[in-house]
Formats: sequence, structure tokens, C-alpha cells
Amino acid sequence: MTLRGPIVFAAGVLAALGAGWAGFPRVIYQTHRQPVDFSHQIHADKAGSKCDDCHAFRADGTFAGVPTLDKCSGCHAAAMGSTVAEKNFIERFVTPQREPEWLVYARQPENVYFSHITHVKRANLKCERCHGNQGTSNTLPPFQQDRISGYSRDIWGHAGRPAMTMDACVACHRQSHLEHSCLDCHK
Amino acid sequence: MTNSRRDIFKFAGGAVAGALFTPAPWRLITDTALWSENWPGIPRPARGEIRAKFTNCALCPAGCAVRARCVGEQPVSLAGVHGGLCPFGLTGHHLPYHPARLKQGPIEEAKAAVRKRAPDGIAILDLNPGRTVSWTYRRAMASLQGLYLAPESQPVAYDLSAAKTVLSIGAPLLDGWGTPANVNAARQNFRLIQAEAVESRTAVLADEWIPLAPGTERAFAQEILGALQGERTSVVARELTADGSSFVLGDAPEIPEINRLLGAYGKIIVAPSEAPVPEPWKKSAAAITRLADVPDHSIGVLLIDESNAASYIPWHFIEPKLTGDNPLVVTFAATRGGYARHAQYALPIAVYPELTDDIAPAVDSIHPTFRISVPLVAPVVTPPAGLANPADFVGALAGVPASNALRERADAIHQSAEGAIVTYADGKETPVKDLTADAFWKSLNQGARWDRPPGLSSLVPAASRSTLRPAEPIESSADLPLIAIREPHNPALVSPLMTKLYQESGLRLAPNRVALNPDDARAAHVPNGARAVLQTRIGRCSVEVTVDPAVPPGAVQVGGSPGIQDVCGPAARVKVVPA
Repeated sequence: MTLRGPIVFAAGVLAALGAGWAGFPRVIYQTHRQPVDFSHQIHADKAGSKCDDCHAFRADGTFAGVPTLDKCSGCHAAAMGSTVAEKNFIERFVTPQREPEWLVYARQPENVYFSHITHVKRANLKCERCHGNQGTSNTLPPFQQDRISGYSRDIWGHAGRPAMTMDACVACHRQSHLEHSCLDCHK
Repeated sequence: MTNSRRDIFKFAGGAVAGALFTPAPWRLITDTALWSENWPGIPRPARGEIRAKFTNCALCPAGCAVRARCVGEQPVSLAGVHGGLCPFGLTGHHLPYHPARLKQGPIEEAKAAVRKRAPDGIAILDLNPGRTVSWTYRRAMASLQGLYLAPESQPVAYDLSAAKTVLSIGAPLLDGWGTPANVNAARQNFRLIQAEAVESRTAVLADEWIPLAPGTERAFAQEILGALQGERTSVVARELTADGSSFVLGDAPEIPEINRLLGAYGKIIVAPSEAPVPEPWKKSAAAITRLADVPDHSIGVLLIDESNAASYIPWHFIEPKLTGDNPLVVTFAATRGGYARHAQYALPIAVYPELTDDIAPAVDSIHPTFRISVPLVAPVVTPPAGLANPADFVGALAGVPASNALRERADAIHQSAEGAIVTYADGKETPVKDLTADAFWKSLNQGARWDRPPGLSSLVPAASRSTLRPAEPIESSADLPLIAIREPHNPALVSPLMTKLYQESGLRLAPNRVALNPDDARAAHVPNGARAVLQTRIGRCSVEVTVDPAVPPGAVQVGGSPGIQDVCGPAARVKVVPA
């Protein structure tokens, strides 16, 4: 019995595994850089900021999401420090009063209704529960956009961040005995 | 070493097996599913500031107050203010995007054609009379020596709150007859006897349902009349006379006389009051002419305004009035389903909630009222196709300015210094005399409603003559074995979503459907869901069949599509045959 056949088969398996694990992600995901090299860690450590200092709720309870330039300009009206990132931020955005076009890792489909205030204030969930270690990171990870679906790779859980898929939502609701109906999220 | 074909297959087999242990195939399956949710053409929810706008529903004379939840400028849901909305009204914001909507028409060509023929026997048929635009039509027709035609609508108003017993002979009293809020508010104070062949929604909610044999509605009315005249006895007639505050609703020509004998005129049935109108308009307006009073073959140019038509006049009533020599018919319509089938020119018009129009008083509105249907969306059909404005079109023919008519009317109401305006945003009622003309106009354009208080309305007894279209003679025929029972009139455009719900819930017959008793369906060889032909003395019409045991034997319930109404009058004898 010759080993030639199994070897060729195994070569095929190995080639597919290599292409699937190493090559495929490079093909399927298009990498974009965030407009500003932002460090959550510096803001937390040096400025003592908490998540909700910038990612605040409005008076009516809606979530403001990523802060606008007005909020940033409150401290960064002029350059704070001499880093390249700070210089770029001031020159490209603060001085011309141009809003940075942030890429949102957690963007959900249009048919999903999600209330931050319900989860944060009523369910007392920590930001890390869904957003992982984002709040302590020193650099913003590249935004990897799926070329077919258009969603961020982070939605499926990636690089130490929890998934933000429907399955993940359902699992958490089920665990908390809060699985009421489809209309909870799909209004 | 050479590679054989077998090696290639083995390598490919290994690659397929290996691929299953990578994220690639699973990612592609998920991505394809997600991509299909986002491909072009899938509607996306509007994003933006959420706020409320107020308007008045123009789909029927009830003119319910509407609170629209808007994202930016786009209404995304409608709700009633201090009350509900009917299913048609709830989905009113879908109508500008209706796939069956008429979107283009030769407006300039039609204008030239009418100018060429006018004023050669010109007439306008207004299917939603009582609006400010109706006055524009009347003024234009007076100037052109033409005729202003209105359906034989009720020239009376009903004060349901004054009634203790109501006998409805087939009228949909609790299903779109009047203003739902008024009817529901008065409902607990009167006893309702519903006499009709089918157990309609009104019959279900009535205190008593008297099932009549199909086609015997007129005989029943004659029996009541005979009893009131002392010729015979009738339990129902005795009940009507017992409490001294009763009236009868229905199509039968005997009903006005019954109401006169019951003493309903001046007490329950009163002259409708109209909001003040500028004096010059009254002096230069043509009289309202009933279609039945127009001599045959006398109309050379007929303009028809179908905007939010409150009723439909079958074409066989109109056709004899047109001249035999190439009459010109121009219709202003939202769909091709109505008179557009008979007109040389069908011109598209704005639909609720993109049109600005006031709302005619409802049949149960005994006090003058004025409210404007304020646009919630910009016209969806934009130039170069564009929409025709019937008032401007007709006004231009006669040199009657129409563009500012609503403001002039509002100023006339303001000058009367009577009544008060209710603003729905804050629920406040402000006497007109406390407002400037501009503030009054502004409030109206924010969906407010003007009412004159009860003490000032004129309760003039109406003429006790039949105000409805004369009932067609009851046919008797062996070759047309069934009697048609009509559904209430529906708006010309209904949201496809509501159409689906209505049909699936059986709440209302679809416009192009007929419902048959199982025995009659078997005899006619038409199964449930089949296509069939509805045949009458006047013509034939293609329909779909619903087999429903609730329909009495010998009757066929017919939908309200113009096509069916054209061939099928009240109490018409019909036959259903397989298509």
C-alpha cells in the first residue's frame, strides 16, 4: 500500500487550512484606520475620565454614542502634549472644526432596537460586558469591515472582545430570565 | 514524479475537508445571509430627530385629528388624538408611495383640450362636496355658465345625541357612517335596531338585528311606513313611536317620509351648518345640481374631482348625461381604478397626507366646523411629471383665483369672531376673538380645529324628500338568481398592509371580491378563491370569489371596487359564473 494517496489528501487539507485561517481573513475583511489615534488608556489614567464622561446619556435618556467634536474641544481647544497623534487631531479636526468620522465597531442592523440606558441603568451591566477591554486600550484597533456584509469583524467577537451578535444577546437574556419576545429588540 | 488526475481529485477532496475546519465557508454563509438583508431596494428606517406633527385625516369626512410621529420630516406612524383612528387612517402615511398610484398625466394637453371645448356644456362633478375647493368650483362654473354637480349626498345632518331609538336599514352606522368619536359617544344613549340581510359589523354591535331576506329592504321600509300611517301594525314601528325620539337610516325612498312621521326633522335631522364663507363667494357661486336633474346628452365637457371621494356614482348614471358627440371627460384621480377608465384624460393629484385641503363636514356634524388636512410629507410625485391641482386647473379656466382660497375662508371665519379653536399639541381651546387672523391661520396649519358652539348653530328642519340616489327598481329575474349586497364605500387608495390584514382577518371584503353562500357557490360551480365573472343587466365584471356561510342563500356580498359598482346597483340581481 502506497502512502502517496493520503499524503496528497493531507496536502490538500493543510493548504485549505492555511488559506482558510491565514488568507481568507485578509481577503474578506477590508481594514480601515480610525480617523484619530485615540487612547482610552491615557484618558482614563491621566484625565481620570470614566466611560460616561464622554459616552453620555442625553437628558431624555437616549445614548449620545461617540462624543462629538464639541466635547473633545472642551479640553483639546489647543494641543495637550506634543505627540504626533495630538498634533494630527488638532490640525485635522479641531482647528477646521471638522467632525471625525469614527467607525463604529458595534454597529447593529437597522432592524435592531437597542437601549443603552435600559442595559446600563436598569440591568447594571458594565460597559466591558459587551465592549470588552476597549476602555483600557492604548490604541484603537483597526476597523475590519466585512466586504460582503459590511459589518465590523468585532460583531462576531474578535481579539478578546465578546460577540455582539443576536445569539450573544439571546444567551444573556436567557441567562437572566429576560427572554420575553422577538419584539424586545425587533420593534 | 508526475501528478495523475486521481491526485488532483485527492488534493481537492482534502482541501474541501480542510476548508470545513476553517472559518471561510461558515463566514461566507453568514455574510451572504446578512448581505441579502442589505441589498439595494430594502427600505431603511429613517434616522433623525423624533417629533410630533398634527393634522386632520382627509380620507373621509370624519376628519379625525391625527398625531404623526416623525423622524426628521418623515412620518413613521400615525395615531389618533384623544381617540383612535380607523385602520385606513392608521396607515394613511403609506398612501403617497402606493404602487397603484397615478403618477403622471398630460396636464397641459388636458388644459388645452378643455379650453378648446369650454364652455360648451361644461360641468364639474365634485365627489367630496362641502370643502373650500367646492366653492372654487361653484364660482368657476358660475363664471363659465356650467354646472356644479354633487352626488346626492345627505343635505342634512344627524344629531345622534338626540336620538333614543335608531332603525338602520342596511346603513353601516357603526362602520364608517359618521365620525367614530361622535357615534361612540352617543351610542350608549340610543337603542340600535339593524335590519339587513347579512350580519354586518353594525348588526353584530346593534341591540337588535332583524335579518331581512335579501332584496326586501324596501318592502320592510314600506311596512314601517304603512304602520306609521295606521294601515297595519308593526312591532318595530311601535317601538319607534314609543319613546318619541327616533329616526330611520337607509337608502329606501320611503325613509324621508317615515322620518317626517316620526317627527325627526328639526329634532334629530337638522340642516347642516357650514363654516362661514366669504360673502363674494356666495354671490358668485353656481347652484348645486343633482346629477339626476341634469338633462340627458347635455354635458360636453365633464371634469371629475375624485380626491378623497366620499362616494362613487356608477358610470351608467353619468354616461347618459354626456353628449353623444365625442364628450370630453377629465378626471383628477389618485388611481386608474375609478373614472380614469372612462376619461380621455386622467390627471394625477396629491393624496393624503401630502395634500392641503379642508375637510367637508361629516353627516353627524351638526355644528359648523373647519379643519385643514396639513401636509405631513412633500409631494412624492415631483416635476417634470408633477401633480395636477384641481382647484388651480378649474379656477384658471374661469379666471377664478384659487391658490389663496383656504386663507380667505379662514379669514372669513376669523372675522365672524365666533367659536373657538382647539390646538391638539397642547389641548387648549382658544376663543377666535382672542386670536389675530395670522395666529388663527397658523393654528389651522398646525392641525387645529375650529368649532362653533352649539348655541349658535341653526337647526333648520330639512326638506323631507329623498336625498339619496333613487333606489333602482327591484328586478325579478330567473336568469339572474342572486341579489347583490354592497359593502360600504372604501377610500380609493388603501395601504397594501391594511388590505392584507383586512382580507386575512375577514374584516372587510376586498374591493374586487364577492362572497357567496356555499350552496350558491356550488350551484354556480365556483370554488373558494376562484376567479369568476359577476354578471348583471348592465354589464360584466371580473371578480374573485370567497365562499362564506355567513352570506344568506340567494345573496351575494360584493366588494366596493368601482368596477363592481359600475355594473351593480343597490338590490341589483346578479349571476356569478366561472371565469
